[in-house]
Amino acid sequence: MDVLTIALATVATIGRIIGLIVLSVLSGWGLAYLAVKNRRFENVYVPFINVLESIPVIAFLPIVLLVFIQGLGGVWGVEVAADFLVFDAVSWNVWIGAYQAFKTVPEHLLEVSENYRFGVARTMWTLYIPHSIPRVTSNLFSSFADAFFYITVSEVFTVGVKTYQTFGIGTLIANFVQQQNFLGVYYSLGFIAVGVVSVTIMLNMLSRRSVAKYGVDTAFEIKRSSHHWLGRRFRGADVFRTRTLYLFQHAGKFAPLRHRGRFERESNGPKPLIHLLEVAVKSVVACIIMAVFIYVIYSSLLLAFSVPQTQWREFLAATPYLLYSMGADYLRVFAVTLASLLLAITVGYVLATSHKASLIFAPIVQAVSAFPAPAYFPLIFIATFPLFSSFLPRGFSTEIYVFILGFLSCFYYVFFDFWIGVQAIPTQFWEVMRNNELGFRARMRRIILPATFPYLITGISSTINSAWAGIEIGEFWPNIDGTHSLEVRDGMMKYIGVNMSQGQVGNAAWVSFLFAIVVAIYGLVFTRNLMDLARKKYVVEEGVYAT
Amino acid sequence: MATLSVSENRGDAKSQSGLEGRDLAYGYTKTKLVFEHINLKTSDNELLAIVGPTGCGKSTLIRNLGCLVPAVHGQVFLDGTEIKKPSSKISLIHQSIATFPWMTTLENVKLSLICKKLPREEADRIAREMLELVGLNGYEDYYPKEMSGGMRQKIAIARSLAASPEILLMDEPFVHLDELTATSMRKEIYQLVFNPETSLKSAILVSHNLNEVVELADRIYVMNGHPATMIDEMRVNIPRPRSLRDPLFFDYVDKLHNELSTGKKF
Repeated sequence: MDVLTIALATVATIGRIIGLIVLSVLSGWGLAYLAVKNRRFENVYVPFINVLESIPVIAFLPIVLLVFIQGLGGVWGVEVAADFLVFDAVSWNVWIGAYQAFKTVPEHLLEVSENYRFGVARTMWTLYIPHSIPRVTSNLFSSFADAFFYITVSEVFTVGVKTYQTFGIGTLIANFVQQQNFLGVYYSLGFIAVGVVSVTIMLNMLSRRSVAKYGVDTAFEIKRSSHHWLGRRFRGADVFRTRTLYLFQHAGKFAPLRHRGRFERESNGPKPLIHLLEVAVKSVVACIIMAVFIYVIYSSLLLAFSVPQTQWREFLAATPYLLYSMGADYLRVFAVTLASLLLAITVGYVLATSHKASLIFAPIVQAVSAFPAPAYFPLIFIATFPLFSSFLPRGFSTEIYVFILGFLSCFYYVFFDFWIGVQAIPTQFWEVMRNNELGFRARMRRIILPATFPYLITGISSTINSAWAGIEIGEFWPNIDGTHSLEVRDGMMKYIGVNMSQGQVGNAAWVSFLFAIVVAIYGLVFTRNLMDLARKKYVVEEGVYAT
Repeated sequence: MATLSVSENRGDAKSQSGLEGRDLAYGYTKTKLVFEHINLKTSDNELLAIVGPTGCGKSTLIRNLGCLVPAVHGQVFLDGTEIKKPSSKISLIHQSIATFPWMTTLENVKLSLICKKLPREEADRIAREMLELVGLNGYEDYYPKEMSGGMRQKIAIARSLAASPEILLMDEPFVHLDELTATSMRKEIYQLVFNPETSLKSAILVSHNLNEVVELADRIYVMNGHPATMIDEMRVNIPRPRSLRDPLFFDYVDKLHNELSTGKKF
């Protein structure tokens, strides 16, 4: 066992994750802008994110095989395939966080940008991006945690009889487990712990800084950077953005109302080059998106027509049971989401309001969330199974394990979103609460839950979507400790797992299709409508400086 | 006239009632103080103003007095008893108008009655009374978003008054309002806070606007220096209603201006 290799593999994995998180943030900003500007795109985009966020990473293996490994081939093919899988783990919640932030930019700030006739780039740089930073930052914790949750299946994966792997700590752990080299596993987990804690501390600093700088009148003081030239340079950029947002907040009061006639007259003149460029970029993006959708629809139709009629009859006959299994899984997801929400609004609230508690417990929560549960869960199983099996019926103890795995895979989404949301509540609101001696319940009901409503919607949405990952692993885990298997009686994810292991890809595809429809409806009904409500009523910033 | 009756009813005898700050100091670090050695005390039916240059800590001082921000040194007494945590007997009106966008006007006002655990009908009645007092009857079901800045500040005032406070702290309450609204609210505020229907005994106003403080205050504390100290305590002996055209009014403004620009007592 080479300790240096383990250290390098940890650095490679963390570097890969951070790079892909940056990519997802940049792409998330672009897509969120398109979504808030175009209702039709939004109607497709929101369910699209929900569907993709709900589909566990493992389900992307066939795409990975076809597009990257066969298309690109070689070492780069495997690397890009692994990057794609990690990207899938990190991107969706960042995308939905950016969308939620863009959707809740205060109306009068938008009016200022319209008044000053800012173009897309300037509006993004001076308004949308600074406004989204606290919410995007809150999602970085979840993204980092999610990437590590899936790291053992992202860096090394098996398609058919062939195993593909790229250099990283996930690959090393998988190899050590196969070789029964438990010392190697422990060392790897130790290095992961060091890496996770280091990144967590950095993210923690970043989140406090982002809330202080980009939140409106929050209780956090703005900390200036060090005297290092690089620090000064970044500080300059931050101060520029903060001041710009400040200018927006205050200029809104004095900005004249938009005069439609004047704008119409002015827009009749020759269009500036930047405007034409903007139109061109929008058109190209729209064409690309349209092409992707046409391709997906075309491929789906081809696939559907290739299925024999007898197979369709079997699919339809199995549908009632599949819907029942999906219902059972939704109950599990509901239990996991409820537990996560309760943890968020109790522990998350304490951490957000007590600096001392956050210094001690926040890194613990962050480390637990970022530590890959599938890597250590068998140890929990081995330690607790004799106890649970002694007094609980087998089915019930299995449900508890599925619940634990589901919880570990997603509790942090709503937790971190709520945590940052509470920190972003303006000082004035805290003063009103303290001045009026509001108790915990009154604070929660009247002020904190409404004030964090947009954050909660993002968090709950991501929690619901991501609970499937843990449930999928927990519902069907053959030989979890070498002698026992974890297997629920009924569950959609178990159905997919069993059928995939038996090569019945059609059955798995059919239930995935049904699931995608349900998730898309949920995306439209739940996420988009609640986000619209948040936009109308729960923009906390509008309660303070909008006069 | 309401103003006159308030002035006539004002008791001259000093009592233990009121808010008092003794030797207050505040700083972001213990060595770098923003202000120090601040002593002030309110008297019944008196509006007290604090003026000082930007950054001297006026807003922080009234938060110290309301125990919303702890002072690094000194004590705060309410009716002769030391207080260390916020109380609904001392109510703060913010410079940045703080209304909750998801609550209607009535709900915003009722917020300050939650800690009293009143029956719903009683809380409704008090909130409506306070809204009537500030001239917002008929707007109970409106959201703050649907109202002007002046109306929103009136919601905040009604919320503060509904809690039946003894002391009202006002942190530049008119600064975000346009001049016409601010002028009309200045005219109303004195009668509003010392209206017999309210529980208020005194109010503290922080302001940059010298005309505003001379128009409203019975007593003015002047802060200046680094770290800031109280350089003067001035009683405003101008009969009410006060006029900006009154030469005496102008003398007070001039004196305040000189003290703020030179940092010395005149």
